[in-house]
Amino acid sequence: MNLDNVVSVRKTKTIYRDGDRCIKMFEPGYSKADILNEALNQARVEETGFDIPKIIEVTTQDGQWAIVSEFIEGETLQDLMDSRPEKMDEYLELFVDLQIKMHSLKSPSLNKLKDKMNRKMGEANIDATTRYELRMRLESMPNHDKLCHGDFRPSNIIIDKDGVPHVIDWSHATQGNASADVARTYLLFCLKGNMPLAKKYLNLFCKKSNTARQYVEKWMPIVAASQSVKGNEAEREFLLSWVNVVEYE
Amino acid sequence: MKATSAKTERTPIESVEALEAAIARVRKAQEIFATYTQEQVDKIFLAAATAANQARLPLAKMAVEETGMGVVEDKVIKNNYAAEHIYNAYKNTKTCGVIEEDKAYGTKKIAEPIGVVAAVIPTTNPTSTAIFKCLICLKTRNAIIISPHPRAKKCTAEAAKIILEAAVKAGAPEGIIEWIDTPTLDMTTLLMKEADIILATGGPGMVKSAYSSGKPALGVGAGNTPAIIDSTADIKLAVSSIIHSKTFDNGMICASEQSVIVLNDIYDEVRKEFAYRGCYFLNDEEKDKVRSTIIINGSVNAKIVGQPAPKIAEICGITVPEGTKILIGEVESVDISEEFAHEKLSPVLAMYHAESFDDAIGKAEHLIADGGFGHTSSVYLDAVTEREKIDKFASKMKTCRIPVNTPASHGGIGDLYNFKLSPSLTLGCGSWGGNSVSENVGVKHLINIKTVAERRENMLWFRAPEKVYTKKGCLPVALDELKYVMGKKRCFIVTDSFLYHSGVTKSITDKLDELGIAHTTFFDVEPDPTLASAKAGAKAMTSFQPDCIIAIGGGSAMDAGKIMWVLYEHPEVDFMDMAMRFIDIRKRVYTFPKMGEKAYFIAVPTSAGTGSEVTPFAVITDETTGIKYPLADYQLLPNMAIVDIDYHMTAPKGLTAASGIDAVTHALEAYASVMATDYTDSLAIGALKTIFEYLPRAYDNGQTDEEAREKMANAATMAGMAFANAFLGISHSLAHKLGAYHHIAHGVANALVIEDVMRYNASEAPQKMGTFSQYDHPNALHRYAEIADALNLGGKTDEEKLENLISAVHELKHRVGIKDTIAEYGVDEKKFLETLDEMTECAFDDQCTGANPRYPLISELKQIYLDAYYGGTFTEKAMPTCINARAD
Repeated sequence: MNLDNVVSVRKTKTIYRDGDRCIKMFEPGYSKADILNEALNQARVEETGFDIPKIIEVTTQDGQWAIVSEFIEGETLQDLMDSRPEKMDEYLELFVDLQIKMHSLKSPSLNKLKDKMNRKMGEANIDATTRYELRMRLESMPNHDKLCHGDFRPSNIIIDKDGVPHVIDWSHATQGNASADVARTYLLFCLKGNMPLAKKYLNLFCKKSNTARQYVEKWMPIVAASQSVKGNEAEREFLLSWVNVVEYE
Repeated sequence: MKATSAKTERTPIESVEALEAAIARVRKAQEIFATYTQEQVDKIFLAAATAANQARLPLAKMAVEETGMGVVEDKVIKNNYAAEHIYNAYKNTKTCGVIEEDKAYGTKKIAEPIGVVAAVIPTTNPTSTAIFKCLICLKTRNAIIISPHPRAKKCTAEAAKIILEAAVKAGAPEGIIEWIDTPTLDMTTLLMKEADIILATGGPGMVKSAYSSGKPALGVGAGNTPAIIDSTADIKLAVSSIIHSKTFDNGMICASEQSVIVLNDIYDEVRKEFAYRGCYFLNDEEKDKVRSTIIINGSVNAKIVGQPAPKIAEICGITVPEGTKILIGEVESVDISEEFAHEKLSPVLAMYHAESFDDAIGKAEHLIADGGFGHTSSVYLDAVTEREKIDKFASKMKTCRIPVNTPASHGGIGDLYNFKLSPSLTLGCGSWGGNSVSENVGVKHLINIKTVAERRENMLWFRAPEKVYTKKGCLPVALDELKYVMGKKRCFIVTDSFLYHSGVTKSITDKLDELGIAHTTFFDVEPDPTLASAKAGAKAMTSFQPDCIIAIGGGSAMDAGKIMWVLYEHPEVDFMDMAMRFIDIRKRVYTFPKMGEKAYFIAVPTSAGTGSEVTPFAVITDETTGIKYPLADYQLLPNMAIVDIDYHMTAPKGLTAASGIDAVTHALEAYASVMATDYTDSLAIGALKTIFEYLPRAYDNGQTDEEAREKMANAATMAGMAFANAFLGISHSLAHKLGAYHHIAHGVANALVIEDVMRYNASEAPQKMGTFSQYDHPNALHRYAEIADALNLGGKTDEEKLENLISAVHELKHRVGIKDTIAEYGVDEKKFLETLDEMTECAFDDQCTGANPRYPLISELKQIYLDAYYGGTFTEKAMPTCINARAD
């Protein structure tokens, strides 16, 4: 395993390129279960036929766990959006079409989105009353079984030299309600501070998938509460303002 | 008070396990409560309502303090209302045991409790809704377990506790009211699954959970009430009503107005009035600040719910005068992308322009569709002059409450501004809101009503023409009445060509000439009269305009006359409608047109058999399709029947025999019919006695034996009266289709099947018996035996008597020359078998089948047809016990 070529470094993991292999090396102490779950998710999504890098092996080196998968040569959609803003509309179309295509797939063994949300609700640092409201809201949401990425954003999409998009990072993948996945993407755009783009994205998705905007909005307090678990203090106030809402009486 | 509260310590419910134990306890308590009398319950109801009422102020203070929402003074009204108006509305309502009884009809309604009610209480009305739900549960002998909102758990529990203590003191079982002390979703879900019914007041999430719990739920949902102010409205009343309603408990009542839609011509005046009464109009910049604060991603910001207007302004970062009542945003879009168009649960109001009343309705419809389906919509207008607008508004709004000129909050909960709308704090939103009820929920939704329905006999009747004239030579005397009593001027005669050409009708026309009554004769009636000939006759009638019709002849002429009469008086009728089959002639779908408004109908039979002169029946054939329309309705009953044997004497032998046997089957079937009465029985028996004695004579010496002719004529008319009221049976069903498919004369067709039909009907264990309340067991065997006795045929047992009766019928048929089998009448075997299945199905579906004492299976009718063709006797399937067990 050649670890000379560092592609990117994040807080708890480092990505290396070794020829046509991509090595995602986790910091010591990273939950083994989470790593194996991520690999399992990715393997399951592979079975749907969606264009994603294939898992090659899960291994350890010097006590550090690593997921080895195909290396996709190309640029992330985020980089493209940043470098060629004039093509933003085209990229956004591609982004939404890709997400809708993903939602049309099924992967029946994946974890359920509502279960995951419910767990996050328990971990979130919010008062009991708000948690009660959120759980009641979550409980009433329809139980769908669409393939959801859980962190679908332009930086997780690599466009190869033929222009084919590949979706990476399946650690948050679940099966469930597509609107929850869309609410999450919308939230991620908002957290990046690009409100106009967020709105444009949501409108485009709703139009293309014939989804009512309120339907996506109903998920927003829930995804905001689950996002707050990730613990970025700066974002917390913003997220809680989304969480602290009530349903009609 | 303190001295009396020496009661067992209550275990707080703070876990799923504790809740499970509590449900078991409450269920036991409810079982005891279920045995209470109305008197005991009413005493408890009064005590509970009184205690709740007394606690109205402390509970209001607790609610505001705990939730940080609403207005103490308004919550006092809500608590007071929940105790007082609910008590007043139901104090005299019967909710226990027999609540309604009708001895004549034999029905009794008995109210039973449902069991354990799961009550979800919202944070917006935490004490008043608790009072309301506890009271209606106590009144209906149900136990209640409350799941409060976590934000209001203490005050809701306190309200429940106060009512429980008062109820127990007044005699209610211990623990009949329970509540969750620390609510979690798991506990609420468990409660909803375990309860017998759910009273869920809350947001859509809660209501959806309730409905998906698998238990019946009375859930209510979101409102987004629009209020239209029409040009004709009393502006002062409208504006003050809306302010009154919108500020009530800081706008937390779900029926509260969210938008005002004002007609252009009064907009400025309305705006001025709102400002004058203390409302603040937001400028564009302020509107944007309010928009981004009150609604977040389509949901209401929890911080503004139930807050006063100045506080909300402050949260939004704007300043308004301290006394401001409502923040008003003048906006244009009714789409949900406009934050002001949402339900806001606070004194924030949207205000819209409308070009016309229709434009206003369109906007209101949109607002309701966005978030208030099924709840409430209101309108202000001149209710005296604008009835049409009220109707239009009501027809367009998909809301279950439509208050007019009324503050929606107060109006929607009922009994404050209208005294027929039931008081309630749980307002059903119908299927539009995903609810099972569309009205204000009350005690009737919490009881199971058992209806005890005792068997009652169907009312029966006896109907006959108003005048039946009889005796030889009576016809001219009867016709005198046409001139001297009724003053008739134009008479239309319907007959067949034989009677016309042989001069039979001449004596009638001579008589009419003598009376100076104009007349014309239609003599084209054929056997099995067709619609075409009836139409031709009706056309002649229409040009002649008679005030009297005389139908003279056999069944065909009289039936054709009846049909022409119908077409003449009601040319618009549809025969398909009129011929529609019915189970009960009084409950039929089709209403027959009223007859006799143009012409008086007289029937004169010229043979003894059909009975059409006294029956409400007529058969007509559509010659283009071959379909026979058997019509039956008392409108078709002739007004006068004239039975005069001067017109019978020339009837040929074959006709005398066939029509005589037809009359026999009329009497036999009317007697065995499930609709037979003492009146029809006497007529049937009388007719049979006479026919058995005189038919052979009439057959042998018909041209001269006047006594036999007269006896036969009267017997046939009597049999006609019997079956005009008791109806017939499957012998006629089978004969109708045999006649239609194989052209066998009606009387003969009946003769060919009647013996087998009697044996078939007489089964003591038929596969299926006739459905008619008074037909309590298969009794055709005994009925036939009664006929045999009346005819003195002898026999010891009913079975012997039946056999003797069948033999007697058989002999009579032979005596008058009727053959034994269908085959003997020359019907080709191959053709018979080819048509058999279709013919059998048609016979089964014949109108006469309904009154038969044995409900036939199609296969059984087929067997009877085969018996009649080859000369067999009906054999039953083997039965588990000996068929003749009773006779042994």
